[in-house]
Amino acid sequence: MLATIHAATLHGVSGHPVRVEVHVADGLPAFTVVGLPDASCREARDRVRAALESSGLPWPPRRITVNLAPTGVPKAGSVLDLPMAVGLLVACGELEPGQVDGLGFLGELGLDGSIRPVPGVLPLVDAVEVPGMVVPVANGAEAALIDDRRVRVADDLRGLVLALRGDGEWATPEVAEPSPVDGGGPDMGDVRGQRFARFALEVAAAGAHHLLLVGPPGAGKSMLARRLPGLLPDLAPDEALQATRVRSAAGEALPVDGLVRRPPWRAPHHGASPAALVGGGSGTMRPGEVSLAHGGVLFLDELGEFAPSALETLRQPLEDGTVRVSRAGASAEYPARVLLVAAMNPCPCGGSAAPGGCRCPSTVRARYVRRISGPLLDRFDLRIAVDRPDPVDLLSGASGESSADVGRRVASARGRAVARGVDANGALDPAALREAAPLSEAAVRRLEAELHAGRLSARGLHRVRSVALTVADLLGRDGPLDVDLVEVALGLRIDPFRSEVAGVR
Amino acid sequence: MSGEHAAAAEDVQRSHLVALVGLPDMGPARLRLLLDGRDPVDAWEGLRRGRIPMALSSRLGRRREEVVARWTATVAGTVVAERWAEVAASGQSVSWYGAPGYPAALLDDPEPPVVLFATGGSVAEGAADRPRVAIVGTRRCTAYGRSVAVELGRSLAAAGVEVVSGLAIGIDAAAHLGALRATDGAPPIAVVGTGLDVVYPSANRDLWERVAEHGRILSEMPPGSGPTRWCFPARNRIVAGLADVLVVVESHAEGGSLHTVAAALDRDRPVLAVPGPIRSPASAGCNRLLAEGAAPACGPDDVLGVLSLLGRPASPVLSAGEAPEPADLGTDARRVLDALGWDPVVPDALAARTGLPPVALIAAVAELTDRGLVVETRGHLERRGEERS
Ligand SMILES: [Zn+2]
Repeated sequence: MLATIHAATLHGVSGHPVRVEVHVADGLPAFTVVGLPDASCREARDRVRAALESSGLPWPPRRITVNLAPTGVPKAGSVLDLPMAVGLLVACGELEPGQVDGLGFLGELGLDGSIRPVPGVLPLVDAVEVPGMVVPVANGAEAALIDDRRVRVADDLRGLVLALRGDGEWATPEVAEPSPVDGGGPDMGDVRGQRFARFALEVAAAGAHHLLLVGPPGAGKSMLARRLPGLLPDLAPDEALQATRVRSAAGEALPVDGLVRRPPWRAPHHGASPAALVGGGSGTMRPGEVSLAHGGVLFLDELGEFAPSALETLRQPLEDGTVRVSRAGASAEYPARVLLVAAMNPCPCGGSAAPGGCRCPSTVRARYVRRISGPLLDRFDLRIAVDRPDPVDLLSGASGESSADVGRRVASARGRAVARGVDANGALDPAALREAAPLSEAAVRRLEAELHAGRLSARGLHRVRSVALTVADLLGRDGPLDVDLVEVALGLRIDPFRSEVAGVR
Repeated sequence: MSGEHAAAAEDVQRSHLVALVGLPDMGPARLRLLLDGRDPVDAWEGLRRGRIPMALSSRLGRRREEVVARWTATVAGTVVAERWAEVAASGQSVSWYGAPGYPAALLDDPEPPVVLFATGGSVAEGAADRPRVAIVGTRRCTAYGRSVAVELGRSLAAAGVEVVSGLAIGIDAAAHLGALRATDGAPPIAVVGTGLDVVYPSANRDLWERVAEHGRILSEMPPGSGPTRWCFPARNRIVAGLADVLVVVESHAEGGSLHTVAAALDRDRPVLAVPGPIRSPASAGCNRLLAEGAAPACGPDDVLGVLSLLGRPASPVLSAGEAPEPADLGTDARRVLDALGWDPVVPDALAARTGLPPVALIAAVAELTDRGLVVETRGHLERRGEERS
């Protein structure tokens, strides 16, 4: 009369084990689910009943109670449909308890009895502490990534019951589609000219410094940004696992060998909602773009076109490296350590940012740039202007080094950061930075001049210093940061919106 | 005795004129039609009874009743002497069409300002025989345009030319800045679109005060008038009317400076334009003017030459403004300076032209910026003329 089935539920990107206890008793026919189910989980009652009936399996006209233990943990989504159905079949004697012994079940049921894939199978399977797992066919490859688990797949309830009884064959696992090599991306070697912009990409990659590219359409902003993931080193093992869990939790395809090893590239459209950017949403909780880009690059093209409210929600994750999403009754935490690259036109007319480059009234420009708040602009350690290359300059421009060549310098610079206890210099706090990067006297004077002229804030000063350190690392230089490195950091940090002033300045 | 009477009568006229200018919805064109040779006192008293000339009446059209009613009400509630006292206390001087001190150049203007307010003691102080050159251009100028405007302003002022401009940001401000830099130069004249107590744009406050101190600022708008959409085009016609010659330093293809050009051509004033790079949007308007027959202004001599053709006093010979020749620059800095034209470019372009690696390029640019030879705006680098203060 009582059956217990092993399953799991998803919180953010981690799975939590759940025991589905099904009790069938005499009394008025009823079907109750207790133990903090969310709306979609409560609806399981209707799906389970329809699926059983469509599969020609009996629906006991009795009092059914499903308890989801531990009861204090909220249960989300439809992943518990299949375990409830199996538990019910055991509780009313259609299956022997021994036939489900040592197995965990995950999957959503269709009204026709089909077993449908669910997001987050990797962390879910990882959470269930039994030797064997039964998952939907489409999730089979992903579930098999957990090494010590025996994985069975099923594509409908009827077939599953026969297989469990030993009267039928198990479904055949789907062979994972060979997806293109993850994070390959285009090569830096294809970029002609734009040597300064390429250098900015190299510094961004080496120090994990956020980068803002400002320039008119046709200046190659996206083309440049797209090459950034190719400069980054492979993800560290724990980072790779986190990135994989996020992708799994979002229900997106994993690479062939299962693990996301290369830094991801995400480029949400400027129409993206705050929920799409940082996660959450009105239905099932889902990680947002900033988490899907974890360990890699988040590219915001046309930064000026994003809703200011959407950009505002990105500030906290950029600061903390994680994002916490709360909704009535539930909250989840997703990793969100990204390298942010943004691109924007200097003016809505598509003209150039050059002085005299367009003739929009200053009020039009002011309204456009006000969409980028000061605190957001502050997040970009690197800000450079790019322009449509002059054809003559293009012809004489040296063709680029390959991503592999640049990537080697990036890796060696990152190696020096690791010796300081961080992944990259962008993560050094002011105290650590002071210790790691003392300044020469001339460098101090130069920075003081910037401070006094009001062109640099205290926070800005810290960021300039960390960029200067990254440049030193790329050049393989040791010792106190000299003024030339500070100049480079300042040269990579323009004020992209400064307005023309009267002849007097 | 009669002199005293005349002076007293002039004061009465002046104070009524100031009161008329201050009426709501009273623009220069309406005021011209209202006065049309009449004594300001008569016009004021006419309004008190709701009477206006036919020409103004037909110009007001359907809004006539409403506007005249508002004027009549305002006239009834205004003590002319009080209004005058406010203006007098502000230290501004006032002149009107035909009165002593009214600029002679505007007497045969097709749309002369009826009244002119001025900073300082007199509207037309010392303006009788000095040649005047208007220097105008875009607010959104390049460093090239700015430095040319400064050089022209300085050289022309040094040659005894009164530099006339609109005190807007960009080229206007640069021209005045140059004029103020000349040693013993002729005083600059600014014509503004707001009341003289409303500094606009406020970014120009310093310059505004220096022009007021060393030269004059004129306006046809009464004290307290803020900027409006039509006040700047209206101001441009006075700039064109006051000057013997108009020089456009930089203008976009359809820039506001071209309105000043049209006003100058209406008044038979020669127009010169400074040539610019064909790729620079800020020079598109000037290059078009040149193609259409405007004389090129490649230095102060070109402008002075036109003035002497007009029979204006001959001037000392000056060399064309040239960029300062920098000494003892580093090798890389020299390469960058040679690669840098007068049009603004991003560092990518300089890297391509010089072949310098980024770190060396930045060091060279830093040296040039430190020497005041290069200026950076929104990530774009330009050569800088001698305007540095
Ligand atoms: Zn524009």
